[in-house]
Amino acid sequence: MRAAINQKLIEMGERERLKELLRAKLIECGWRDQLKALCKEVIKEKGIENVTVEDLVAGVTPKGRALVPDSVKKELLQRIRAFLSQHST
Amino acid sequence: MKMEDVSLSSMDNSKMEGFAQDILSDLVEDACLGLCFEVHRAVKQGYFFLDDTDQESMKDFEIVDQPGVDIFGQVYNQWKNKECVCPNCSRSIAASRFAPHLEKCLGMGRNSSRIASRRIASGNNTNKSESDQEDNDDVNDNDWSYGAEKKAKKRKSDKNPNSPRRSKSMKHKND
Repeated sequence: MRAAINQKLIEMGERERLKELLRAKLIECGWRDQLKALCKEVIKEKGIENVTVEDLVAGVTPKGRALVPDSVKKELLQRIRAFLSQHST
Repeated sequence: MKMEDVSLSSMDNSKMEGFAQDILSDLVEDACLGLCFEVHRAVKQGYFFLDDTDQESMKDFEIVDQPGVDIFGQVYNQWKNKECVCPNCSRSIAASRFAPHLEKCLGMGRNSSRIASRRIASGNNTNKSESDQEDNDDVNDNDWSYGAEKKAKKRKSDKNPNSPRRSKSMKHKND
């Protein structure tokens, strides 16, 4: 059932729109710059030559999740809930 | 289908909420991954650290926030009360009046030709005023030859000595 809704989300392009919305909000609130700074630290630690995508992901993603501001989360959730209630019948 | 409808609509709010949170989680993770990929590429391609400068240069050009000084640290009304010597007439002129004075003095710039030709036109009516104007006329020689222009200007001004359009027609002649 979840899979069905997920599929609808993707097929109707809503997931893409949500992605774009999230991206814009995160840039606006400075989240992206914060994370870039975190990446810099990882790079300095591992060295430019040796740093891998995995290093960055492991070093940055957990903090990234925590740093998303509540307002952004709220707004996205609102839209998701609206979609779900619209399309779960 | 109906069975599904029932189960969907009976999907209670907490489950709906959980589902929504999961979707959000996925989206955030996508965003993080996207950023990591971008950064990784930038690092490997060598353009990640391009906009950084070393600490020393940063300090040199730091924004200045003191009174009486602009953000570069320069004093901006330093030249208000200074006086400059005009290279043409060797008079001492206040800095803020220097540019307009130069305009008149050198006979260049938009207003100086108008004023000069107006003076000449009014000078034609009385000889006395003309001899007074001689200095300025000589100065205006820099731009055009003395004899021919004077004659031409004289003729034109004889036509309409009192017309209000005098200066305008003079201006066109000089152009």
